Amino acid sequence: MATVYSQYAWLVPVFPLAAFLILTAFGRGLKQTGAIVAVLGSFGALALSALVLIEHLGGADEYNDSFHWIKIGGYALTAGFDVTNLTALMLVVVSLVAFLVNIYSMGYMKDDERMTVFFGYVALFTFSMLGLVLADNLLTLYIFWELVGVCSFLLIGFWYQKPEAKAAAKKAFIVTRIGDVGLLIALLLLFWYMPDHDLSFAAIENVFGQTGLITEGITTLIAILIFVGAVGKSGQFPLHVWLPDAMEGPTPISALIHAATMVAAGVFLVARTFPIFEASQAALDTVAWVGAFTAIFAASIAIAQNDIKRILAYSTVSQLGYMMMAIGLGSVTAGMFHLFTHAFFKALLFLGAGSVIHAVHTQDIHEMGGLGKTMKTTAWTFAIGALALAGIPPLSGFWSKDAILAEALHANPALFVVGIAAAFLTALYMSRLFFLVFAGNPKAGGEAHESPATMTVPLIVLAVLAVIAGFVEMPFSGTGWFGEWLTGHAAEHEGAALVMLVSTAIGLLGIYLGWLIYVKGAISRDVVTSRAPWLTRMLERKYYIDEIYHAVFTVSLRAIGRACDAFDRHVVGGAVRLAGGAAFWTGRAATRMQSGQPQSYGLYVVIGLVILVAAIAGRRFW
Amino acid sequence: MESSFPWLTLLTFSPIIGLLVLLFIPGTNSRALRTAAIVTTLVPLGLSLWLFASYDAANPNAFREQVDWITIALNHEAVNIGSSAYVFQYHLAVDGLSLPLVALAALVAVMAALASVHIKKRWKAFYVWFLLLETGMLGVFLARDLILFFLFFELTLIALFFLIGIWGSLNREKAANTFLIYNGLGSALMLIAFVLLISTAGASLNATEQGGDLVYSGDYATIAANLTSGESLTNLPGGYDNPFALSDGMRWTIFILLLAAFGIKLPVLPLHTWMLRVHAEAPPSVVMIHSGVLLKMGGYGLIRFGIGLFPELAEDASFVLALLGAVSVLYGAVLAFVQREFRLVLAYSSVSHMGIVLLGIASLNEIGLQGAVFQLVSHGLISALLFLIVGSLYERTGTTELEELGGLARPMPFMSGVLLAAGMASLGLPGLSGFIGEFLAFLGLFETMKWVTAIAAIGVILAAVYILRSVLKITFGPQQERYAVLKDARLIEAVPMIALFAFIVLLGVYPSVLTDTMQGSFDNIIAHLNTRMGG
Amino acid sequence: MLSSYLTMAAILFCIGLYGALSKRNAVIVLMSVELMLNAVNLNLVAFSKYGVLPSLTGQIFSLFTISVAAAEVAVGVAILIALFRARGVVNVDEFNEMRR
Repeated sequence: MATVYSQYAWLVPVFPLAAFLILTAFGRGLKQTGAIVAVLGSFGALALSALVLIEHLGGADEYNDSFHWIKIGGYALTAGFDVTNLTALMLVVVSLVAFLVNIYSMGYMKDDERMTVFFGYVALFTFSMLGLVLADNLLTLYIFWELVGVCSFLLIGFWYQKPEAKAAAKKAFIVTRIGDVGLLIALLLLFWYMPDHDLSFAAIENVFGQTGLITEGITTLIAILIFVGAVGKSGQFPLHVWLPDAMEGPTPISALIHAATMVAAGVFLVARTFPIFEASQAALDTVAWVGAFTAIFAASIAIAQNDIKRILAYSTVSQLGYMMMAIGLGSVTAGMFHLFTHAFFKALLFLGAGSVIHAVHTQDIHEMGGLGKTMKTTAWTFAIGALALAGIPPLSGFWSKDAILAEALHANPALFVVGIAAAFLTALYMSRLFFLVFAGNPKAGGEAHESPATMTVPLIVLAVLAVIAGFVEMPFSGTGWFGEWLTGHAAEHEGAALVMLVSTAIGLLGIYLGWLIYVKGAISRDVVTSRAPWLTRMLERKYYIDEIYHAVFTVSLRAIGRACDAFDRHVVGGAVRLAGGAAFWTGRAATRMQSGQPQSYGLYVVIGLVILVAAIAGRRFW
Repeated sequence: MESSFPWLTLLTFSPIIGLLVLLFIPGTNSRALRTAAIVTTLVPLGLSLWLFASYDAANPNAFREQVDWITIALNHEAVNIGSSAYVFQYHLAVDGLSLPLVALAALVAVMAALASVHIKKRWKAFYVWFLLLETGMLGVFLARDLILFFLFFELTLIALFFLIGIWGSLNREKAANTFLIYNGLGSALMLIAFVLLISTAGASLNATEQGGDLVYSGDYATIAANLTSGESLTNLPGGYDNPFALSDGMRWTIFILLLAAFGIKLPVLPLHTWMLRVHAEAPPSVVMIHSGVLLKMGGYGLIRFGIGLFPELAEDASFVLALLGAVSVLYGAVLAFVQREFRLVLAYSSVSHMGIVLLGIASLNEIGLQGAVFQLVSHGLISALLFLIVGSLYERTGTTELEELGGLARPMPFMSGVLLAAGMASLGLPGLSGFIGEFLAFLGLFETMKWVTAIAAIGVILAAVYILRSVLKITFGPQQERYAVLKDARLIEAVPMIALFAFIVLLGVYPSVLTDTMQGSFDNIIAHLNTRMGG
Repeated sequence: MLSSYLTMAAILFCIGLYGALSKRNAVIVLMSVELMLNAVNLNLVAFSKYGVLPSLTGQIFSLFTISVAAAEVAVGVAILIALFRARGVVNVDEFNEMRR
């Protein structure tokens, strides 16, 4: 079918870029107009990407266009864009969430004097994220990959006067940068191993699709290095530490960047370069196990946290682990499906949390309570998001999580057990969060009131999407068009009934347990704390990972730095001083020889003569 | 195809013309002096941009000026043909390697002239030395004769010595002294190497015009041809036997002398201490030129003379060079992380970034070499921008100690924003020029030395660590009372900041501007190495 | 024949050298210098008589040298007296004016 809009897909990121340039050029003079510019920019992107998606739902061909970006001798580095079903879907997800977050921010950031700066950053982020999605080769992707990282950094540190925000921003940038170096080295490896030095995804699919072109070892190495990049960006263990801290940024940002889009970029990257992983079982296993471990690890931490945004952050980490696990099990479909649904319900949860924070001005869930009465819209939409996350049918999260679990049951029962356990924990911490915030009696003195329409409308839109987004791929025969369309492989349907049953039961069990503890009080809240205080403390301190990293990396780097500094000062500098000193002291000694005593001068002359004669005579005899 | 009008001479000596005008302005009128200096520096900028635009990589000889300058006749009894003489030429030309650096020098000079608003005394003398320095830098990149190169090189040393010694901060005399000793040593080594080169590989038989005369010259092309062809040295045409044929040991000696001479300038690892002092003591506008252009003369010399004349030796030494580069990258980064003074952070970051240049050079392929030159230009722009900001900051706060700074984003949002952007460029953010140089250097080196590249890539993380630590310390954090009243950048400060940053973005987004110009500049080297490998 | 003259001259020279370098009294130093000079004269005469190309020039030159040496001694003693007038001593190790 003809590709009309796909040819102009490169224009999608241009809208937010234009918004960013306008906002930066005119700066604070714009005030409220700035917000409108940003909203228009993201709307332009949304409209065009919707057209592209519709075209592709109608069965349009893939479209690719690229040009030589740098040409050196016989080598060329290209830049270009690629419109496939996968990218078309991602374009819409990103621009839709960005658009909603922009609208939401008009209300949320209304009183901030640096509002235009905020919208400028958001626009720059939207541009970079859309560019990342469109990129047709790994180098272009890497460029945008770094740009989204820096936008994330800027927005985490948006309230730059807070020392915590500063520290969090720095941490986010540096930790993700560790992953980026992995990706960079993978890029270098690919460049020199690919035939014709072609880095495009199409070429990657071609080359790794056939065996023997690139050796097993190198394939595994490349795959693992790419995965390192994804681990950094998607907050997988052991590079997850930045993501919870990133909650220092404004809440709409947490929804946009640290829940729906950028953190999912790691999953997207692995999906995009999946042929490489597919060629190496070791790499797939690594991805699956890291994902599974992260899923349960982060979920267990989320149970013991008290900050509403941190709970959601650990939940994000956990869900990203699910996606990774799915891809590691060989099902890009399931992973991308979960990414798709997760984007909506997690953005919804964050925006709901923002609405709550906006009302009560605290983030500690123990200081909230009873908000369900005063903030009806927020409470209802939040409940939908929480249920979707907990995997209760028929909400979207259920279907996507179900696809992953079915895949796990089919491929690796051990991972299925891990997945089920994580699902239980998810349901438990979400019910704890929901009941503590919205049920019970008000603690903030009843002054909380519903947020303005700019904030609630996006909530409602996202809630609708969180309900329906899952229907695109249900494990009933004849309904699985989504997977087929997206990746050419439908999701796993074998044993679907069993999985559906088990996961629903587990989800309900988790919620029931939460209800018993936090609403009914049938089980004491400190039942664990009183019996095993070390366990609670360990979870609260997040397994002491931050402390360990601090001790191992920060301290040792500083020690190395000090040692090098001493080396530079005393050894390198000392050698220089020694050389200078030698010249100086030679001069001193020579000055001393000039005593003014003619007799000593005479003696020097005689000594010199003797040496000269000895040298000449010696030379003759040698 | 030589152009009739001596554009290159005009380009090189236009600062001197401006200097003559400057002499007629009273020394107390700082504003007029500064205006005259800025206008003067605009001339070479315009000329070099025009050159850049009209340069065609396929026809690199369009601009060339060549006349005999000094002729010293020799009475050589061993010569059994005609006569022999030393002939030194006034020979200027551009090629893909020097043109980006000429443009960089001219651009940074304008920006530094704009930034010289912070100079508080003896304006006339300052601008005189400043313009002499500019002529020196331009000449270094344009010269095509060893002796001419040497003269321009020395001119920059002398001018910079006075600029540091008179207008620097507290320990300026000591800094100027250290600078001169180190660089004087480097020049001495360079001179020895040059003399050896001229009197051996510089020989050519001028059969047509002077009737079979033997001429010793410092012409780059002659020397390169003689050194790389390997035949004409011992067996010149006409049956003449060159008495000064270069033995392998001699070649290594010259190569190492050149490495040391330009290694001091770059600066390569153990020879960097002088640069720290200069960075910390010289006035910011001078550091802009120093860090932005003068250090690049080291990289230029390494490529032009080290690699260009001795490709085989460079190949044999490439592992050592790469290792030195990788160590410089990491060592500079680690040290930058623990410094307490922002100018020293930047100084060590220069060490780190110049390590990347070394990595690109060590790769000895086209990608790596272009990466090295790209990194030179990009680092020139970035460090010029950073020191421009440092100068403005220092004028307002009176300190560059990291401990004492903080929260400046509130009183000075524009400058803090530019500082952050410059820091991002410095840590190699894609979309800005620093990334391209870094990436190309890594990419080139990766072909031959994978592990060294991988280790050096850790420097990318460390760069983020030290840049963010220092930049965020200055700009982020709670506002401090004493800095609440500070004013943001004035127009004369903002213009060069925006201009420099615009160039950084341009090179980062559309690097072909530079890479297309450099296209083919390293063909000789690459071709030679390939034939060597094949044979 | 020549060697005995040369040996004699060498002995004289060494005595003079020793005296010039080790004696404190300036008068004795001057006398030692004269001794070295005369050793040289002896060499000149010896070479002019027994050298490779014998010629009268050498002997005449030694006459010149003797007269020049006399003039030099006169100057030396004059300086010595001036110094003695100024400082009251003639010990060479107490003069280090040349240092300044």
